[in-house]
Amino acid sequence: MTSSNGTEPGSLPTKITVKDLRFFYGDSLALKTINLSIYANKVTALIGPSGCGKSTLLRVMNRMYDLYPRQRAEGEVLLDGENILTPGQDLNLLRARVGMVFQKPTPFPMSIYDNIAFGIKLYHKVSKSELDGRVETALRGAALWGEVKEKLQDSGLSLSGGQQQRLCIARTVAIQPEVILFDEPCSALDPISTAKVEELIDELTEKYTIAIVTHSMQQAARVSSYTAFMYLGELIEFGKTQTMFTAPENRQTQDYITGRFG
Amino acid sequence: MSDHIVRAYDKELDLLGRKIAEMGGIAEKMLADAMDALIDFDADLARKTVLVDARLDLLQREIEENAIMTIARRQPMAVDLRDIVAAIRISADLERVGDLAKNIAKRAIIIAAEARVPRAIIGLKSMHESAALSLKDVLDAYAHRDVERARSVWTRDAELDALEDSVFRDLLTFMMEDPRNISFCTHLLFCSKNIERIGDHATNIAETVVYLVTGEALPMDRPKGRSFSSESLSI
Repeated sequence: MTSSNGTEPGSLPTKITVKDLRFFYGDSLALKTINLSIYANKVTALIGPSGCGKSTLLRVMNRMYDLYPRQRAEGEVLLDGENILTPGQDLNLLRARVGMVFQKPTPFPMSIYDNIAFGIKLYHKVSKSELDGRVETALRGAALWGEVKEKLQDSGLSLSGGQQQRLCIARTVAIQPEVILFDEPCSALDPISTAKVEELIDELTEKYTIAIVTHSMQQAARVSSYTAFMYLGELIEFGKTQTMFTAPENRQTQDYITGRFG
Repeated sequence: MSDHIVRAYDKELDLLGRKIAEMGGIAEKMLADAMDALIDFDADLARKTVLVDARLDLLQREIEENAIMTIARRQPMAVDLRDIVAAIRISADLERVGDLAKNIAKRAIIIAAEARVPRAIIGLKSMHESAALSLKDVLDAYAHRDVERARSVWTRDAELDALEDSVFRDLLTFMMEDPRNISFCTHLLFCSKNIERIGDHATNIAETVVYLVTGEALPMDRPKGRSFSSESLSI
């Protein structure tokens, strides 16, 4: 792997450390010995052509892959120094600590209020008034409160695509995770909704560590501080976003981000 | 460099490069003609040279417009982004080189009418040789993305600064010898300043070429070759 200038390894607090990670779909090797640091309270973008393994890598970080048979990971993924790949992990707790927002908005078929309250009640015992407060805080945190405060009992599915995506972000934020994983969160959204989600991601870094998979190079350049370029299951280059998009060291990175292959 | 998936993108970048090359050629020719006109007291050539500048201005405007459109259309990244930023910068430098050459040509028209001390022009000839070489080298460096050549132009500018210093002393001597030379020599003094500035623009272009190829900026301080600083001298 190429490491761009100014990566400053070790100088920033690391939230997640990926060590010698290999990932298999059945017999096929999808990730070939990945080593990567996700820095705390920073946005790290994972970019690369389809099938390069970026979404797979994201799905390892909260063991989403455990839901599927014949998928397994080797190596270590350290969350605050603790390997989350060990068998004894409480996966519910892990996914509460490492939340995920998907490509397509996935609101539950219930009211806006309950979409948020559902997760909170799952993890915490709270009174009704406290619950109201947590729902409001989450909706405010996802920059959605102003748009939905008058209709909290309406179905989550009645919202526009962009609002639904922010509802999903609110749902994730509501259970107070430490890390939020975004898997192409804006690919189904119009430019205005995309801008709102990007603005939100920027605000979220105050409290959370963020990893985002995106196919939009411009989005990666806009929202992230660090960028990892992956290709054919390998991490090709990792560095500061500024360097990666103006003067990447690796030829493959350059060809990909300038639209010369993909 | 391999091609873009979108071929129209390659064409846009190629066009920028070709227009820079055309500007470079015109700027070089303008400088050479302006100096010939000055040395030979050839007012006709000087007038023709003044007219060429319009073409250079037009090309610069086209490059700027094309560059802005490409940025809007393609959202260039990495080497492409540097390529476009370089085209904008270099075209601005070359446009200024044209202005400075035009200024020399205008002064050539004036002093052709009153040719007093032709030997005073000799120093300007060596300045011109140095500046013309820098301009040629830096344009080649741009065309071939040649960092080493660009660096050599950047370093060499000290030589031109030193020459300007000595021309300044010579012209002062001529003026002190005979006050009737003052007007003539003052024009030459401005011409020497113009040539020195053309050298500075070549240096700017050299810095841009290094940035274009490596993504890194050259240091802020460039080697200086003069015994006085231009700040303390109000000419």
